[in-house]
Amino acid sequence: MINPEKAGIDAVQALIELKVSPERNTGYDSVAERISRFPEVKSVRLVSGEYDLLIVVEGNTMKEVAYFVAEKIAPLEQVRNTVTHFLLKTYKENGEIYEEEEKGERLAVTL
Amino acid sequence: MSDRVSDRVREIKGSGIREFFDIAQRMEGAISLGVGEPDFVTPWSIREACIFSLEKGYTSYTSNWGLLELRESLSDRIYKESGVYYEPEGEILITTGVSEAFDLALRAIVNPGDEVILHEPSYVSYKPCTTFAGGTPVCVDTGVEDEFKLRAEKLEEKITARTKAVVLSYPSNPTGATLGRKDLEAIADVVNEHDLLVISDEIYGKLTYEGEHTCFSSLNGMKEQTILLNGFSKAYAMTGWRIGYAAGNKEIIEAMMKIHQYIMLCTPITAQMAAVEALRSDDEVERMVSEYNRRRRLMVEGLREIGLSCFEPKGAFYTFPSVENTGLTSEEFAKRLLLEEKVVVIPGSVFGDCGEGFVRCSYAVSQYELKEALERMGRFLDNYLR
Repeated sequence: MINPEKAGIDAVQALIELKVSPERNTGYDSVAERISRFPEVKSVRLVSGEYDLLIVVEGNTMKEVAYFVAEKIAPLEQVRNTVTHFLLKTYKENGEIYEEEEKGERLAVTL
Repeated sequence: MSDRVSDRVREIKGSGIREFFDIAQRMEGAISLGVGEPDFVTPWSIREACIFSLEKGYTSYTSNWGLLELRESLSDRIYKESGVYYEPEGEILITTGVSEAFDLALRAIVNPGDEVILHEPSYVSYKPCTTFAGGTPVCVDTGVEDEFKLRAEKLEEKITARTKAVVLSYPSNPTGATLGRKDLEAIADVVNEHDLLVISDEIYGKLTYEGEHTCFSSLNGMKEQTILLNGFSKAYAMTGWRIGYAAGNKEIIEAMMKIHQYIMLCTPITAQMAAVEALRSDDEVERMVSEYNRRRRLMVEGLREIGLSCFEPKGAFYTFPSVENTGLTSEEFAKRLLLEEKVVVIPGSVFGDCGEGFVRCSYAVSQYELKEALERMGRFLDNYLR
């Protein structure tokens, strides 16, 4: 498990909520699969609630990610609405807490 | 007034190496293998349970015996792990660490002049506590040739008409030695024959890496003769909480409770609340134990590689290598190592005369620190072994 911030990796990630129109016969599958093919898209999930798909997009800069969404995702026929959340800081990922392991203050000598 | 301090206390020698410890405590950039406590912080679920209990307003005294819920969980736990049943009411007393329990046990059973047999090298407080209680400590030396085990024959040699009790402390601080079932059975035979009591401090019991820890009171007939002492400090990384317990026959536990109720009243409720949760969170214990085991192998191999002969410890979190081949006393070795390479180890002589020629190195430090310490010690030894 690598903490990209500590490793000096400057990549930018964003969570993007998508409202999409399902298609007859294939439902959400065809649009989700289509979006999955972009290498910039790291994950695609169908979720319940206010919107339909939650995707993770990665790029080198915020501008790159924003343009990607504006140019490749938003114009898709089935996509009705997008909301982009840039990730600022990760505290825990895949069950691992990113901060240093806690150390108590111990005395140097105890018998 | 000239005699401000009582004779009994004055007669206990202050440790001669306090000065060394003071330097060690203050030295910047030192790596300390001198610690006798886990480097882990208490698992979160335990801390959280304590915080929750405070939020709920649990801030009062508890029963002198300790929370019944905790005694019940302990009773279940001891039964499950070793097959000995202690009644939660009357046979278990919650104490402020094993340190208090040890003191209570001695004071409950020792008459002036009674002899208490201790095996050395051993934890530093057994001897003075025996004296404070009015008893006479009688030491049995254990050596590396016996893997620092207390042999039944050697124990028997020290028994006199005044012998009241034997202190057993395995897995051992400082040696890391353990006793197997056969070793313990041989001791139990001697104890039976001479009708002695046993104070068995099993605080490192869960930190056993080869074979299984055998609870002394689980041996045939030993429950009545044994005061079992254990706690949460080492296995659950709860040293600062100060919570332990004693389990034994009703008469003795009742006597210990009598002292406890006047001097301590009860163990802090926050620690007791945390301990109840600790008994539910053993996953963390397993994780810590397997990490100690990795470091144990790393350290024993490392010490041997740099030229020290090191007996293989099977419990606790200490190694006890011999430094005799350097030609230095253990105290000199520790002092020079600290000043020249900034590594803290504890001279074996602190733990009894027969600890001379050894040093205690704790592996309750991160693997990174362990490797760095071994490298520094290797450099240090190059100057003395060539």
